[in-house]
Amino acid sequence: MAPGKRVLPSLGDATTARLRTLGVSLLLATAVLFPPLINNDGNVDAAANALSFAALALGLNIVVGFAGLLDLGYAAFFAIGAYTYGALASWQLHPAWSDFWAPFAFLDLVARVRGVGGDVVHFQVSFWLMMPLAAAIAAFFGILFGAPTLRLKGDYLAIVTLGFGEIVPIVARNSPSLTNGAQGLNGVIPPQIFGYSFGVSATPYYYVGLTLVVFLMFASQRFKFSRVGRAWMAIREDEIAAAAMGVNRVKFKLLAFAIGASFAGATGTLYVAKLQTATPEMFMFPVSVMLLVMIVFGGMGNVWGVVVGALILQILQSWFLQDLSGWINALGRLVDVEWLQHVQLASSIELIFGLILVFMMLYRRQGLIPASRRVAALTTEEQTALPTRGGFDNLQGLGALDDSRTGPLLEIKNLTVRFGGLVALHSVSLSMPAHSVLAVIGPNGSGKSTLFNAVTGLVAANEGSIRFAGEEIAGRSPHVVLERGIARTFQNLRLFPNLTVLENVLIGMHARLHAGAVKALLRLPRTQREEHEARERAMEILAVFGNRLIPRVDHVVSSLSYANRRRCEIARALASRPKLLLLDEPTAGMNPAETLELADQIKSLNRRGLSIVLIEHKLDVVVNLAERVIVLDHGEKIAEGTPAEVRQNEEVIRAYLGRSAAFA
Amino acid sequence: MITRRALIVHLPTAALAGSVLSRMTFAADKSVTIGINVPLTGSDAEAATQIKDGAMMAVDEVNGVVAGYKLNIMVLDDGTTTAGQYDPAQAATNARKMVADPNVVAAIGPEMSGSGKAMAPILSQGNLATITPSSTNPDITDPTFAGQFRPGGKAIYFRTVTTDAFQGPNMANHFARTLNVKKVYVLDDGGAYGVGMADAFEAQAKKNGIEVLGHDQLDPRQANYTTILTKIKGLNPDGLYYGGTSLAGIKLVKQSHDILPNIIKAGGDGVYSASLLKGAGHPAMDGWYATIAAPYIAGNPDVAPWIKTFNEKYGIGPSGYSFTAYDAMLVVFDAIKRLAAEGKPVNRDNMRDAIHTASVKTLQGTVSFDENGDIKDRTVSVFQYEYNDKYPVDDVIHQYKYLGVAPQTS
Amino acid sequence: MYALLAIGFTMVYGILELINFAHFNVFMIGSFLGLWALEALGLSGQSQVLTGLDLVGALAFAFAVAMLGSGVLGVAIERIALRPLRGIPGTTGMITTIGVSYILFNIILLGAGAESKNYPNPMPPVRWDISGAVVDLREVLIWAITLALMAGLQLFVSRTRLGKAMRATAQDSEAARMMGVDVDRVIVAAFFLGSALAGAAALIFGLYYNYTSFLIGYSAGLRAFTAAVLGGIGSVPGAMVGGVIIGLIETLGGQLIAVRWTDVIIFSILVLVLVFAPTGLFGRASPTKS
Repeated sequence: MAPGKRVLPSLGDATTARLRTLGVSLLLATAVLFPPLINNDGNVDAAANALSFAALALGLNIVVGFAGLLDLGYAAFFAIGAYTYGALASWQLHPAWSDFWAPFAFLDLVARVRGVGGDVVHFQVSFWLMMPLAAAIAAFFGILFGAPTLRLKGDYLAIVTLGFGEIVPIVARNSPSLTNGAQGLNGVIPPQIFGYSFGVSATPYYYVGLTLVVFLMFASQRFKFSRVGRAWMAIREDEIAAAAMGVNRVKFKLLAFAIGASFAGATGTLYVAKLQTATPEMFMFPVSVMLLVMIVFGGMGNVWGVVVGALILQILQSWFLQDLSGWINALGRLVDVEWLQHVQLASSIELIFGLILVFMMLYRRQGLIPASRRVAALTTEEQTALPTRGGFDNLQGLGALDDSRTGPLLEIKNLTVRFGGLVALHSVSLSMPAHSVLAVIGPNGSGKSTLFNAVTGLVAANEGSIRFAGEEIAGRSPHVVLERGIARTFQNLRLFPNLTVLENVLIGMHARLHAGAVKALLRLPRTQREEHEARERAMEILAVFGNRLIPRVDHVVSSLSYANRRRCEIARALASRPKLLLLDEPTAGMNPAETLELADQIKSLNRRGLSIVLIEHKLDVVVNLAERVIVLDHGEKIAEGTPAEVRQNEEVIRAYLGRSAAFA
Repeated sequence: MITRRALIVHLPTAALAGSVLSRMTFAADKSVTIGINVPLTGSDAEAATQIKDGAMMAVDEVNGVVAGYKLNIMVLDDGTTTAGQYDPAQAATNARKMVADPNVVAAIGPEMSGSGKAMAPILSQGNLATITPSSTNPDITDPTFAGQFRPGGKAIYFRTVTTDAFQGPNMANHFARTLNVKKVYVLDDGGAYGVGMADAFEAQAKKNGIEVLGHDQLDPRQANYTTILTKIKGLNPDGLYYGGTSLAGIKLVKQSHDILPNIIKAGGDGVYSASLLKGAGHPAMDGWYATIAAPYIAGNPDVAPWIKTFNEKYGIGPSGYSFTAYDAMLVVFDAIKRLAAEGKPVNRDNMRDAIHTASVKTLQGTVSFDENGDIKDRTVSVFQYEYNDKYPVDDVIHQYKYLGVAPQTS
Repeated sequence: MYALLAIGFTMVYGILELINFAHFNVFMIGSFLGLWALEALGLSGQSQVLTGLDLVGALAFAFAVAMLGSGVLGVAIERIALRPLRGIPGTTGMITTIGVSYILFNIILLGAGAESKNYPNPMPPVRWDISGAVVDLREVLIWAITLALMAGLQLFVSRTRLGKAMRATAQDSEAARMMGVDVDRVIVAAFFLGSALAGAAALIFGLYYNYTSFLIGYSAGLRAFTAAVLGGIGSVPGAMVGGVIIGLIETLGGQLIAVRWTDVIIFSILVLVLVFAPTGLFGRASPTKS
């Protein structure tokens, strides 16, 4: 069910797909025929501007819509792309000629020109070369500006990016040697193709813009439905869970910044080439805000939505409003009302932007064309079907579990975790052999979840060591821990709320797949195969839960029942082919029947070779499943042994129930 | 989903269709379109309106008909709210619009040189002449940059003002020779116009032997200039020159009145503005010098009735550029008349040639253009502010006392 | 004066963890309200000077109008634009405040015009010479008012019930709610107070610089924001200290480097503080991930 021009062959309804392709082709044809039909260079120019802003909106969509990083200074990358081309393809820079420049002249990148007081270098790098080059330079700055924001929360990230967004035009204004400051660049060279110079007619720029937008849309769609896109969306939805599922946050955040910036860099080149000048005022905060309004309006995260939003707002600003003002003025003259005759709606476009922003946030946050598709509801049959259980015996997706290891799988020694003055864990040690089930129990606040957090790297260990399969993992990043083979679920459920069941599970597989950004873009057969296999494996894992999750595989997880969500989280953890599974109160909130079923499923998993650590409050589950139990209280281990032993341990009883005796 | 998407596709299509239809003008038998391109949105809106009004005075005087041709005036706004002022991208779009419309035979504007730089190449390709009443950046008509600004070869950017190549430097001459300033500090407002003025002034000041103690930039969005002014005070100059417009100018005038009360202060035509007077006024403005890049028109008693008519019609006083805009329109009319008399068709190419060879009597005297499109008369007038309580605070003409012509660079 | 603006801003953040972009344009509107109040009294231009009771009365009236008006505006913003979104995590609220900010900015731009407006200055130009430095009556009055307002705020926050409720809510809104604090009321109070302070700051701005325009929200806002962050966002004393420091930096930066780079310097400080020392000088709320 993937919207877009290239439909994945294994999914989707054929008729809908064909209708879509037809619709898109029609749209494309209209766009291509637009200039000759309209035959008015001014309007073509306005359309070319609209396309440029659509391209920028697409770039911002990657950073904000996909990855959820609110970038309020996006216009800075636009500026960087523009000034890079401007500096290298105009009369702005003219260092004195020397032999150093000879090879460049040979490549026709520069020319030797007679100047006052000697020959100088005139930069004339080709537009076609500069576009990707500017994109790359912008991407570099994307990484540079994004790096400081990696640890920051949403609004602080926004402020820092806002800061950079302001600094860049100010620097541009104050560096006249590079940018001619406030007066604007002079004489930017128009692009040439096969000897024909673009000159001042807007039409060739329009076509370049159209091609750029089509390409960027294509790239965005490719990214969206790839491992990279899923990683971004995971980060957007829940960064912690994403890390716990193997997503390298640093790498993917920087990637989002870089790719998003590169879109702006390329567009900057086009925009400046068309305008043949660049002034700092063209790249200030209002431009960033306008782009934000465009994607909020059109639908953050939805590629078509963003383009539509951009085009509508741009056309509104430069075309429709002016005409509307003209009509109102004419109306004013007709009815002889003074102020109507002087109304200029175009100047109120910013007011309109503000209103749109507030309105959208209050009433329709998903935008015009929302990112999450609405899926057909289940049929009555499916809804009333008796739940069936799956089985683990046919489960291929788990993968081989290393049998040859001797020694404990997980070994923790003297682990101490402190939060400021509070000691959450104090010198806890445990040792767990492979293929076993260990239960961790204890009253609330005893540090059980903290133990999990320390093992998975979400919380730093102040002292002590954690060895997994012989390797020290204390202090490593969560995604590295996942790669090593430890997966977990969360006490309070950390699914990716706006993503579907399938997408959640696929993200679990993130560390086991290999497609990076380039591969996602190219989608060679090998990558397609990888995706296909991944989906098959995901379906297998989901089949473990019988018909509970399979019919809902394309439903957004926030629409699932609580129990199903728990199951989905487990499926997601399983998808990463872990050697050790940490389950944090997996049966919380389930009724006895569901609890029993899940306990059975956990047992089957263990029989297949998976080692499991279980935090549980339901002691019958503990007794049923666990071979060994450890008890924590106030951050210290107070007992360890088989369930039967622990059950009768005085300390344990006291910790749970105070001084009274029985405990069943 | 499909319905909503169809709606979204159809809405802009409908708007597009509507706009296209509304553009189909009924071509009258003999009519021509003249474009007026000024930034009616943003911080320059008031000045832009004064220019537009000046041009429209001419149109109204002839009742919209010249030599039998009906005049259609196409007013275009090159200011956008995103820029907060003139926007070169919008100016370029407007230029393209005018060039694309075969009925447009000439244009008035732009107000700002930043727009002019974007528009000139496009107008040149379309061989559409424009006469600007206020754009003073010299680069656009400079033959060194002809390749950039008039790729079509012929001059299309005509001016009824002279350029900053003369405005700033002539004031520097005035500083040196008439006012005997020895040490000066230069400020600009970071805008294209201001920086150009300040730089040109500084270069000429140095040539005249004035010591330039420094050159810094004011941020028009900032409120507090006391830091820089205190620094300047510490350097002890005799004079202060400001290149820029009233946005920063108002604050500068007020604050320098407190901090630097006794030195000579001067600015360019950005200071000779109604909004500056309204914002700063007396006593802060006392003693400030200003220049305009044109001869002193308002002092001419023959012009008084014109000013009176302007006041009555538009409710505000004319700015220095209202006159030059009116003059520009007169040049256009003259060209139309001559072409009609010679029996030549009034089209763009002929208009350009006719304008280039014009010699028209206007408010400022006889206007004619040199080979680059610059006005031949290079007069820069110097004024000094002297509060006149009989007239409204923002009446530029009466609050500024005309001192004379600034000395040309010999 | 940046301090007052920063305090209002930080108050709202402390309670709601919301960066309110609109705050700075409430400030801008406050200054217009003050302008209109003074004009309503018949004052305009630089020429009229009042003394004694007349002066006090005029100033009191203007302050009342500016502060009340801004306060009401702040509350209105909260009710209309922010309350429905309360509880939604992430940046939704902040984006909405950007929208509100734009709306306010453009209402003034379209309504009152783009040029600066002259602020009447009814204070007599009395000056004192204190060992070489010239001190204006104007400056003294302004400092006095600012300090009085800050002291009043401090008293309010530490002594009154509502003040205590505000501090409690800022630390832990859940707990406060359970203790019987009407969190809604507290939030409204915070917005009112914060905006009223912004209004006062705006009037002071206008009296000091003798002008106002639609742009003043931007530049003063940037400095106040940095001051709040520098002092530790959520901390009122921090905002005060931050305000002073930023003022100093602005002056020194202009003297030592060049005025044109001041904005860059201040933005850089903002970025550096957020990246390396996000709690600022006094703050407690950490902007990093939990």
